[in-house]
Amino acid sequence: MREVAWRIFAGEYSEASHIIHGKEEKAPKYVITPMGAKVNRLFVVGVLTDVENIGKEGIRWRARIADPTGIHNVYAEPFNPEVASLLADMEAPSYVAVAGKVRIYEPEEGSVYLSMRAEEVKSVDAFLRDYWIVQAARNLKMRIDAMKEAKSMSTPSIRQLRELGYPLKVAEGVLEAMRYYKDIDIEHYEFLLREALSYISIEKKESSKEVKEAEEKLLAIIKELQGEEGAEWDAVIEQAAKQGIERSIAEEAIANLMEDGIIYEPELGKLKMV
Amino acid sequence: MEFEEAVEEILSSVDAEREEIEKKLKEFLDYGVPIEQAKNALIRKYGGGAREKKIKDIKPGDRNVITSAKILTIDEREVEVRGKTRKIYRGLLGDETGIIPFTAWKDFGLQKGDVVKIKGCSASEWQGQPRLSLSEWTIVEKVEYDIELIKMPPKRLNLIDVRANISNVEVRGKITSIERREVDVGGEKKTVYSGIMEDETARIRFTAWKDFELKEGDAIRIKGAYVRSWRGSPQIIFDENAEVEKIDEKIEYTPYTIPLYKVVERGGGLDLLIEGVILEVRRDSGIIFRCPHCNRRIKEGVCDEHGQVDGVPDLRIRALVDDGTGAVDVIFNRELTEKLLEKSMDDYLKMAEDAMDYGIVYADIVDKLLMHPVRVYGDSIQSDFIISIIAKDGEKIKPDVKKDAEELMIEIGG
Repeated sequence: MREVAWRIFAGEYSEASHIIHGKEEKAPKYVITPMGAKVNRLFVVGVLTDVENIGKEGIRWRARIADPTGIHNVYAEPFNPEVASLLADMEAPSYVAVAGKVRIYEPEEGSVYLSMRAEEVKSVDAFLRDYWIVQAARNLKMRIDAMKEAKSMSTPSIRQLRELGYPLKVAEGVLEAMRYYKDIDIEHYEFLLREALSYISIEKKESSKEVKEAEEKLLAIIKELQGEEGAEWDAVIEQAAKQGIERSIAEEAIANLMEDGIIYEPELGKLKMV
Repeated sequence: MEFEEAVEEILSSVDAEREEIEKKLKEFLDYGVPIEQAKNALIRKYGGGAREKKIKDIKPGDRNVITSAKILTIDEREVEVRGKTRKIYRGLLGDETGIIPFTAWKDFGLQKGDVVKIKGCSASEWQGQPRLSLSEWTIVEKVEYDIELIKMPPKRLNLIDVRANISNVEVRGKITSIERREVDVGGEKKTVYSGIMEDETARIRFTAWKDFELKEGDAIRIKGAYVRSWRGSPQIIFDENAEVEKIDEKIEYTPYTIPLYKVVERGGGLDLLIEGVILEVRRDSGIIFRCPHCNRRIKEGVCDEHGQVDGVPDLRIRALVDDGTGAVDVIFNRELTEKLLEKSMDDYLKMAEDAMDYGIVYADIVDKLLMHPVRVYGDSIQSDFIISIIAKDGEKIKPDVKKDAEELMIEIGG
C-alpha cells in the first residue's frame, strides 16, 4: 500500500534516531520519531531559506526549509532532474511545499543523519503553510494523546490503541518509539506544538476592519511625528486618541504595521517608517 | 528482556509455580546464560507448549502451540513470496472459548466444519489481532469428536468500523437498495438478496443468503453477521444463522469527512467524503483518447481490442490525495476536471493544438492542483497498491486555518 506522507515538524524529525529496516529485500525503511510517527514519506511546507548546488556535475541540490520549529534538509537527486531544476530556480525566501521520502544516512553504527528526498516541489502561498502547520500540529497532538494512553496501560498493545480509534501506523509507531527511546520528554513536544500553533495565531491574526482603517491613520501620524529619531510611542497613541481611535485598536494597528515591515522601532518606545 | 517479563512468558506456556520458575531462572542467569536462552531452556524443561491451549489463551508471540478447534471458514488464495506464487489458506477457527483467524502455508485438506487437533503452530499479531500460523512443520489431525463453539455476544459495530474477515458482528442500518439475484454455488442455484445499507457512519454493500423479507427503507438490526471483502471493500453477509429484526428507528447517512486512514484500513467504501492535499498528479492525467467501440484508453491511435481506431478525446485527472493519515488515488472525470480547472476540454484541445503538445494540459493541471487541498466525494474501486476513488464530486478548498489553529490551541490548553 502507498505510504502516507507525514506532516512532521522539523523539531521532531531531527530528533529521531531510530530506523526500522524491513526484513524483505524491498521492504520500506521507516524512521520512528520520538513521538511515534512511523515515517517513510513526508510532506513539508515552509519557508525556503537557501538552495545550494552540492553536486560535482551540478545536478544535486540541497535546500533548507524552515518551519516554526526548525529546519528540514531537502535533497533533489540527479535521477530526478525535473525536481532538481524546479528547486534550483526557486527564490529564497519564499513559501515552498515538498513531498518526498525519508533520506537516511548512517555513516556508522549509532549515528543517523536524516533528511528528505524531494519527489514533488512547488511554490505555494502563506495559506498552505498555515494549513500545513495545523495539520502537523493535529498529527502531533494525536500521537501525544496516543502515547499518554499507551503509558497508562499495564501492557500497552497495538490492539488496545486501535480500539481507542488510533490509526494502525500511529499505534505501531508509538509502541516502537516507547520501546526504543528512553525517558521520552512528552512535555517538550507539547511545548513545540504550542509554539508552532502560536506562530499562526500571532503572526496571522485577522484584524478587524476597524484596525485596518486605523493602520492608515496611524501611519500618517507616525510620518508626521517621526523626525530623525522616530516618533514617541505615547505621543502616537495620544494623537490617535484625538482622532477617535481607541488605545487597544491603535496598539493592534501599530503591531500590524511592524509585522508587515512598514514601521520599526529604532529604539525602545519609538516608531519610525522603514 | 527484563527478568519479570521472562518469568511471565515462561508461566504463560508451562504449568509451574512462579516461585520455582523465578528461582530457576535466576540460577541460569547467575551462570551467565543470556536471558532469552534461559527462558527457552526453562520452557523446554517444564514441557512448555506441550499443554493444549484454548483459543482465548493464545497470544501473539506464542510458539509451538497445541490446540483443538473447529474450522469455521476457509478461503484459498495465491500470494507472491520472494517472486514465487504460493497457495495459502486463510480462515477462522474456534473452540468453546474463542475464535481466531489463521493462515495455513500448505494444503492440509481442511474444510469448513472439520474439527482438528493442531500441533506446533505459532501465533503472531496482525493488524492488532492474534493470528495463528500453520507452517510446513505444523501437524494437523482430524478428530472424530465435535466442539461446541463459543456463543459470544456479537460485536456491535458502526458500519464505518466494519472490516473484512471479522465474524459475529451486530450492525444496524437502513436498507437503501435491495435486489434479488440467482447465484451458482458449486453447481447449485441459490437465491441471494443483495444491496446497500447505511447507518449514520457509512454506506455498505450487503448480501443476505436467506429471504428475510427485507425491502427498501426498512430499518433493521442484524446479529451474527460476518464481513467479507468484495472488490476490496468490506461487505456485510448474513445467513440463516443470523438474527434479523426490524426496528423502529430513523437512520440516515449524511456524508462527513472521513480521515483517510479509515478509508485505507477498511479497504475503501461507498459515498465517501474525504479531504486531503494533492501530492502528485499522475502522468496519465490530461487529454487522453478512448476507443470509440469499447471506450478503453488507446495509445497512439491503437486499441488493444479493436486495432487502429479514430480516438475520441477525453479529459481526466488521476491524482494522489493524502491527508497525513492515509493516501488514495482519486479519479476525476471530464465534467469534474473541467469544474476543478475552470476550463473546458475544448479549450484544452485548442491549447494543445496550438502548442502541438498535449503535455501542456498536464502542466496546467499541475499548476492549478498540485499541493492544493481538495474535498472529494465518491466510491472506491479495487486496485492492488492503492485505493482508488472515483469522484462523484470534488472541489478545491480553503479551510479557515486560523480558526482551526485557535480551536486546537484551546484543546491543548495553550
